[in-house]
Amino acid sequence: MAWYSEGPLSRITGVVGGAIDDVLRVRRAWHWDTPRPHTWPEQGAVVPAEASDLGWARVEPVRSIRYLIQRVLLLPFTEAMVHPKVEGREWVRELERPVIFAANHSSHADTSLILHALTDSARDRTVVAAAADYWFKRPILGNIVSLFLNTFPFSRTGGAQAQLHSSSQLLKSGWNLVLFPEGSRSPDGRIQEFKPGIGFLAKETGTPVVPMHIQGAFQIMPRHQQIPLPGPIRVRIGKPMTPGPAEGSREFTARIENAVRTLSKEPRQLEFQGSWIERWQASKPREFRYEAD
Amino acid sequence: MPRPGAVIEVDRNTPPVLFHFGEGIRLEKMPLGARIVYPPDPLEPIAHPERAIKRALAKPLEDDPLKSLLRRGMKMTIAFDDLSLPLPPMAAPDVRQLVMEEVIDMAAEAGIDDLHIIAALGLHRRMTEDEVRHIVGERIFTTFHPDRLYQHDGEDLENNVYVGKTAQGEEVTLNRRAAESDLVIYVNLTLVPMDGGHKSMSTGLASFRSIRAHHNAKTLLASRSYMNPPDSALHQSCIRQGQLIEDTVRVFHIETTVNNHAFPAVANFMQKRETDWTPQDQAMFLATKQMTDIMPPAFKRNVFHAMRAPYGMTAVHAGQVDAVHDKTLEAVRKQINVPVEGQTDIVTLGVPYLGPYNINAPMNPILVVCMGLGYLFNFYRNKPVLRKGGVLILTHPCRYEFDAVQHPSYIDYYDEVLADTKDPIEIEKKYEIRFAEDPWFRQLYRKSHAYHGIHPHYAWIWAAHAMEHAGDIIFVGADRDVVHRLGFKCATTLDDAFEMAEQTVGRYPSVTHLRTPPIMLADVEA
Repeated sequence: MAWYSEGPLSRITGVVGGAIDDVLRVRRAWHWDTPRPHTWPEQGAVVPAEASDLGWARVEPVRSIRYLIQRVLLLPFTEAMVHPKVEGREWVRELERPVIFAANHSSHADTSLILHALTDSARDRTVVAAAADYWFKRPILGNIVSLFLNTFPFSRTGGAQAQLHSSSQLLKSGWNLVLFPEGSRSPDGRIQEFKPGIGFLAKETGTPVVPMHIQGAFQIMPRHQQIPLPGPIRVRIGKPMTPGPAEGSREFTARIENAVRTLSKEPRQLEFQGSWIERWQASKPREFRYEAD
Repeated sequence: MPRPGAVIEVDRNTPPVLFHFGEGIRLEKMPLGARIVYPPDPLEPIAHPERAIKRALAKPLEDDPLKSLLRRGMKMTIAFDDLSLPLPPMAAPDVRQLVMEEVIDMAAEAGIDDLHIIAALGLHRRMTEDEVRHIVGERIFTTFHPDRLYQHDGEDLENNVYVGKTAQGEEVTLNRRAAESDLVIYVNLTLVPMDGGHKSMSTGLASFRSIRAHHNAKTLLASRSYMNPPDSALHQSCIRQGQLIEDTVRVFHIETTVNNHAFPAVANFMQKRETDWTPQDQAMFLATKQMTDIMPPAFKRNVFHAMRAPYGMTAVHAGQVDAVHDKTLEAVRKQINVPVEGQTDIVTLGVPYLGPYNINAPMNPILVVCMGLGYLFNFYRNKPVLRKGGVLILTHPCRYEFDAVQHPSYIDYYDEVLADTKDPIEIEKKYEIRFAEDPWFRQLYRKSHAYHGIHPHYAWIWAAHAMEHAGDIIFVGADRDVVHRLGFKCATTLDDAFEMAEQTVGRYPSVTHLRTPPIMLADVEA
């Protein structure tokens, strides 16, 4: 009988009973309460060790807990669900100073996708600006989200100076900042106008801004949908931008918005005039000094 | 230092063993005294694959350096293996991409303007653009697709040429572009000993007319097994065809091998022996098991098919086909060989969610047979782990579930052919030409993403040797009607299956469980 055609009660009973059986079986088999049997062979490395982590977080022991949660749950889940394709990761591979990540926002899945797209070292030094009036309205929810994603409350309804102060403190402490300059999730998946706060913050703190574009998040988890669905995702990271000395914060915001919109477009078809050799050589990737690491 | 494969004997303390169960998993307690065969741990991958590739191209085996073969004005073709390898698909960058980028760099330097890249998919389905892009990488895809990077079409009469007949009368055809090239470079990924060598060209760039010479019940029944090329009639036939092709066109072979690191970190417990499971692995097992128990099949499939394997390249060789392939097989065996002493009355196998022919699709019943009785049973050298007349027990839900886009001819084969007979030889006589030449299946193979009309027959005869060898075949936890249509027996639990098996092999049978995947090759000693 198909799983969904059973009655809800018998199904729940079956699921719970099965789960209990599984836990008991694993408990007995792996000797949770007795020493490892001496007849078992030595444990081997089996799989190559994962890359060492360079991250640290704001407070212990939350730092360690979040580390585990992200690596055991969040990142594998994101990878398994949507297998995001990341382009331009080289721009954040070797950040010399804190940056602001500015991305379009169409889904609750955006934060996980951004964290997934970053390199280990960048992710472990990144905090996410979360709408104070939404995420921190219920303290328990806000704390859980902070535990998972390293968020901090960011007011959308005023208090610009206070926001600037707390954000700049984080930047000065060596943290990267994820900001969604649209202010809230897009209702239809299209990029909305950017609010000027990001340009102001970057200008005041002299922080570079890394534009990012997430494609497909609206399809997997739009507004009013609670559970994400599997689907294709592309995260594109652009070149870090620094505000010019004579550039106003609004102009810089417009430049950031333009950069995100440009990333959203498909790569320009290469000119088909000329031979493949010219196209091939033109697309040769840049050599990075850290490639040898 | 990675550990070699191991055979352990089950005692009171041995933990239950993991069985793959399609898009699910199970833990089963094996009877006392049973053997569990584990694959070796993944070998250390080459630290700098690009450097190794450059070295292989500069110092090929029994051939001139690739650079010296390239000259301006020549017609050059690169052919590469399709997405049926490796399994699961490799996390980017695929080793074929790395090899092709080096080769293309050299071709660009030599000023070769006439360069085409062909996916050598034989009678497999056409890949989607994303699938091709995943194998070749973004740079090759954007530079060459679609006019110079395309997929072989075995039914395109104009673009396949007749090369000739071998001494044994096997007809040979070849992709026209390859046949008319001054140099063909074949970029291969060998995961198991069946792959690569002469088989690459003689199946990947061939048509039905050519492939039917060795993809037939008689040849498969004479292969002991096709995972061991010296004892494989299939490979002898491919070698004869390949030699004829090599006489016609200049071919430079590049073969790569990868380790058996088949599961990403999230599924590490599937990679490890049960005695190595850490509390984290146990937790991941429990979480995965609960998820697969309650989620609908389509959801589980999406999650599983999104997994990419963190394979690492273990060897790359270039040059003359036989010299290259010998080295390749050596590298593959080093990774997957496990010495096993003697045969047993019963062999148990867990059939996983994925085989070579159901990437991004459900594993339909014929493909379950192909995977379990075809591939997994045949992973042996010398003789099968199962004694002649023994019982093979497999775990898979084996649902009536087909992908209409990828496997249209499988549906007819299951509904019509298997309702008539299960005998591979009889089926071949009655149905081979009908399925191979069906105009609708041909159209779907050429223009959509469907396997060739004859492909379900190949999947079925892949199991011919196992069906002939085993006294009984029992599926555990499968759909009863489906298993009966396939001609096998069905049991609800593994214990029931052992009980049923005793009717065939007697009381107190010897039992061996092959804990695969990851892939292994049982080297069975007398």
